[in-house]
Amino acid sequence: MAIENEHVMADVVEVNEFPHLAQRYVIRGVPKTVINESVEFVGNVPESQFMEHIQRAFSPSASS
Amino acid sequence: MAFLSADNLTEIKHLFEGLTGDVRLIYFTQRESPLYIPGHECETCKDTRTLLEEVAALSEKITLEVHDFVAESQLAHEYGIDRIPALVMTADGVKGTIRYFGMPSGYEFSVLLGSLLDASQGKSELSEASIETLSSVDKNLHIQVFVTPT
Repeated sequence: MAIENEHVMADVVEVNEFPHLAQRYVIRGVPKTVINESVEFVGNVPESQFMEHIQRAFSPSASS
Repeated sequence: MAFLSADNLTEIKHLFEGLTGDVRLIYFTQRESPLYIPGHECETCKDTRTLLEEVAALSEKITLEVHDFVAESQLAHEYGIDRIPALVMTADGVKGTIRYFGMPSGYEFSVLLGSLLDASQGKSELSEASIETLSSVDKNLHIQVFVTPT
């Protein structure tokens, strides 16, 4: 996604090395994805569902 | 210590035959000091650097730049790097920003190699529908994926 759009910043975070982030984002399972600090989900999801989460992050009532 | 076995090297070299454009790996680490300073240690920085050096050595299309997180804080700030080890992957075909925090080992290593290939070729593996949706994104989109080594 970061390849396709200049506004996208895609991070992979090895959570064991950054325990403060595990705490901050309440990570109990992986992979956990957090989009714009507003939408989050755990596990691998199909691409179409991932895109829905992205659109949800941009909706006015964005919340997890 | 070498991380990649002879078999790994052969396999990755074969994979890297698919590299088309140059890829820059901008790596932020800390000065490797024999002094142990509590709270300032970066357990995987050195290993990550070694791993990246081994990968970069396999193709002329991959350039590895190593930066000191503290001494080059201005540069780190430009890439939004607030923790190490941190890796930024850039290429002409990459419009956004791709970053890795922590050591990419196990499954994440193959993810890194896949990203390298995609970045070099300047094309994602997304469907046309997703690419179209993404093309309409005109605000910052920060995607963080938290993983553990497997």
